[in-house]
Amino acid sequence: MMRHKLHRYTIYCSVVLCITLCSIPAFSQEDTVLKVEAFGTLERPISAFDHDTHNEKAEIQDCAVCHHVYKDGKLVEGESSEDQACSECHTLKAQGSQPGLRMAYHRQCKECHVEKKKGPVACGECHVKK
Amino acid sequence: MKERVWIKDEGIERGAEKLTPEKIEKTINAVLGNEAGARLKAYVETCAHCGLCSEACHFYLSRDRDPRFSPVGKVKQTIWEMVDKKGKVSVEFMKQATQIAQTECNLCRRCVQYCPFGIDIGYMMSLVRRIVHKLELTPLYIQDTAHSHSATMNQMWVKDDEWIDALHWQEDELREELPSARIPLEKEGAEIMYSVIGPEPKFRTQLIYQAAAIMNVAGMDWTMPATPGWDNSDMAMFTGDSEMMGRLKRLHFETAARLRVKKIVMGECGHAFRSVYDTGNRVLGWRMSPVRVVHALEFYWDLLNEGRIKVAKQIEEPVTFHDPCNVVRGRGLHEKAREVVRAFCPNLVEMTPNREHNICCAAGGGVINCGPPFKNSRVESNSVKAEQLKATGVKLCIAPCHNCHGGLEDIIHKYKLDMQLKFLGEIIYDCMEKPDAV
Amino acid sequence: MQDIYLLVSGPLAWAAWTIFALGSVWKIWSTLNVARQKDQVLLNYVSLKYGLRSIINWSIPFNTVNMRLHPVFTGVAFFFHIAFFALLVFVSAHQIMIEEGFGIGWITIPDAVADIIAFAVIGACIFFGVRRVVRPEVKYVTDWTDFALLALVASPFVTGVLAYHQLGDYMTMVILHMLCAELLLVAIPFTRLSHMLLAPLTRGYIGSEFGMVRHVKDW
Repeated sequence: MMRHKLHRYTIYCSVVLCITLCSIPAFSQEDTVLKVEAFGTLERPISAFDHDTHNEKAEIQDCAVCHHVYKDGKLVEGESSEDQACSECHTLKAQGSQPGLRMAYHRQCKECHVEKKKGPVACGECHVKK
Repeated sequence: MKERVWIKDEGIERGAEKLTPEKIEKTINAVLGNEAGARLKAYVETCAHCGLCSEACHFYLSRDRDPRFSPVGKVKQTIWEMVDKKGKVSVEFMKQATQIAQTECNLCRRCVQYCPFGIDIGYMMSLVRRIVHKLELTPLYIQDTAHSHSATMNQMWVKDDEWIDALHWQEDELREELPSARIPLEKEGAEIMYSVIGPEPKFRTQLIYQAAAIMNVAGMDWTMPATPGWDNSDMAMFTGDSEMMGRLKRLHFETAARLRVKKIVMGECGHAFRSVYDTGNRVLGWRMSPVRVVHALEFYWDLLNEGRIKVAKQIEEPVTFHDPCNVVRGRGLHEKAREVVRAFCPNLVEMTPNREHNICCAAGGGVINCGPPFKNSRVESNSVKAEQLKATGVKLCIAPCHNCHGGLEDIIHKYKLDMQLKFLGEIIYDCMEKPDAV
Repeated sequence: MQDIYLLVSGPLAWAAWTIFALGSVWKIWSTLNVARQKDQVLLNYVSLKYGLRSIINWSIPFNTVNMRLHPVFTGVAFFFHIAFFALLVFVSAHQIMIEEGFGIGWITIPDAVADIIAFAVIGACIFFGVRRVVRPEVKYVTDWTDFALLALVASPFVTGVLAYHQLGDYMTMVILHMLCAELLLVAIPFTRLSHMLLAPLTRGYIGSEFGMVRHVKDW
C-alpha cells in the first residue's frame, strides 16, 4: 500500500515539475533583456534591460556614454560604437586592461548607477528570477 | 537522571569546615591567575561543547552514559564554573568539585585522544586538584600518603631502617634459591639504580625478590639506595601538591646522582613512571629527566633482546594484557610489552580496545588512594572494564602496574570474573632460565 | 536602499575583515604571549614534526578512532567545515565582487551546485542544533551561547539562499546576508568560534607531547 501511494505521489510531483519548467520560457520577455550569445549557457537569470525606457529615464542622449571606444587603453572622445556588439571587443577573458565581457557589463551598469546613486547594483536586482 | 551521590569523606568534611567564600575566591583566583596560563585559556576558549570526549571515559560508559561523568561534564561541574564565577563558588560546590576531580577522573588521558582539538582535560582536572589542595580539601586517605611523603620521603611511612631491613630479608630469602644472589646497597658507580614504590617493601616484598632474581640472573651491575630517595612513587603529584612533588623527585634524582648510576630502572608502576619520566622533572626545571629512566617493561625487553634472560618454559594457557595508561599512553611501551609477553605466553588474547586506546583500570590517578569511602563508586564506575576482561574469556591477566592491579582486582571481585592477575615480572621470574638455582 | 547596500558591501565589509584580521592576530598573539609569560616550560615541548603529524592525522576524515566511533557526525562535520570555506571562496557572486574590486579571479562553483551545498550546510547546522538537544552528553554541556553561535554561523547561509532564490524582499535579504557574514567574521576571534584560530595550537601542542615525550599516537 505504502509503496503504491509513494509511486503515485512521485508521478504527481513530476507532472507539476514539468508544467512549471515548461512555463518558464513563456514568461520571458526576450525584447527587454540583454541577450548575449557569447556567454553560452547562463549561470544566472538573464538581466532585464529595456534600452529605450532606460535611456529615457536616465536622460541619456549620447550613445557614446555607454557605447564607448577605447584605443590603446584610452577613451576616444567623440566616437561611439553602437554599431558593434560589446563582445566584438570584450572577449570572455580580459585582455590587458580591457575587462572581460562579464566584467564589462557589470562595470558599465554599476559604476554609473553608483555614481548617479540610482539604478540597481546588487546581483539580484538585474538578474531577476522569473 | 539518577540522583547524584555525594560521598562523605573525613578529609573533605574537615577541610570544608574551615573554609570561607572569601578564602575560596582568593585561592581559585590565585591558582587560575598565577599558575594556569595559555593552556587553560586556550582550552576554555576553544572547547566547542561537542561532547565527543564522552565516549573515551570509562566513568561515563560504565554509569549508563550519565553526562555528569563525561570528561567535559566534569569540566563543566568544576573549572568552567570557577572561571565563569571568577572564583565566587560555595563551600558545597568545592566539596563536590573535590569528589569529581579527585575520585571521578583517573587522569588517564584517554579523552585527550578523543577530543578533536586535543584539549588536555586531565590537565584541567589536575588544576582543580591543585585548588583543592590549597584549600586543604584533599580526601583523607590520599592526603595521608602525601603526609607520609613529606615526613618520610616515601608513600607508606616506611622507616629508614625498615627499608634496609626489608631488602636484607629479601636478599636472605633469595639466597636460598640463588646462593650467590645479592641486593647491592649503596654501590656507587653501578650502572643501574633500581627504584620501587613505597608499597613494595610494605606489602609486596615478593616483587623486590623477583626483581632481584631477574637482576642477578641477567648479571646486571645494579644497586638500591639505603637512604630515603629509594621511593619513586608520588601521591603529591595527584593531590596537586607540586611543591612536595618537587621535593620527592629532587631527592630521587639526587640519590641516583650520588650513586653515579647511568640509569634508573623502575619496577612495574605506572604513576611513579609518570612522575619520574614526565611531570616531576618538569617541576624541577628539567625538560626530560636528568637521569635516564627505564620502566620495567622496557628493561625486560632489553634483557630479552640482549639475551641476558632466556625463556625456560612458556605458559600455554591463554592470557590477556592490560595496557596501563602511564606507560602506554604515557610512554608508548605497548609493543615492547607485547613482545615480552608473547615470549613467555605465546597465547596472547587481546582486549578490545587495546594498546593506546585501552580502557583504564579506574584506580590510577590517585583514585584508589582515596581509599574505602570511594571504593564502591570506583568499582561501579568501571563495569566496561569488567566486560572487556570478560570478553577475552581468559583466566590470566597480566597488568604491569600497581594501581592497575589494585583496580582490576576489585573489579574482578565485584563482577565475579574468574580471573587471576599477575605482574609481568612474576611471569618472567617463574619462566626464565635460572642456571644457578638450587 | 542603494546607500545601505553600498555601505554594507563597502566600508562595513572592510571594517569586518579588518576587525577579523586584527582580532585573529591579537588572539593568536595574546595566547602565545600568555604561554611565553606563564607557560615558558611548555614551549620546550613544542615540536613541529609531531605537532604537524597530529594536525594532519586529525585532518583526514575517519582517520582517528573517535571519528570512526561517530561516523555520521564526522561526515557532517567534515562536510560542514569544507563547504563553509568552499562557498565563501568559490561562490560566483563572491568571486565577481572580488574581481570587480581587486581585479583578481579564480574558478567558481556553478550556482546550481553552490545552491545545493548551501542547503546542505543549513542542514548540517540543523543537525548540530538537534544533536545539542537530543544527545544527553551534548545537551548537558550546551548553553544558550552554543545555539546563538550556531545561529550566527547559519545566518549567512540562510539569508544567502533566500537572496539567491529571491524570496522575500531581495535587497533586504542581500543586505542581511552581508551583515550576517560581517557579524560572523567579527565574532570569530572573540567567541568560541576562535577554535578556528586556536585549534591548530592546541592540537599541535598535544601532538608534540604525545609524539615527542610519550612516543604514542594521539588519534
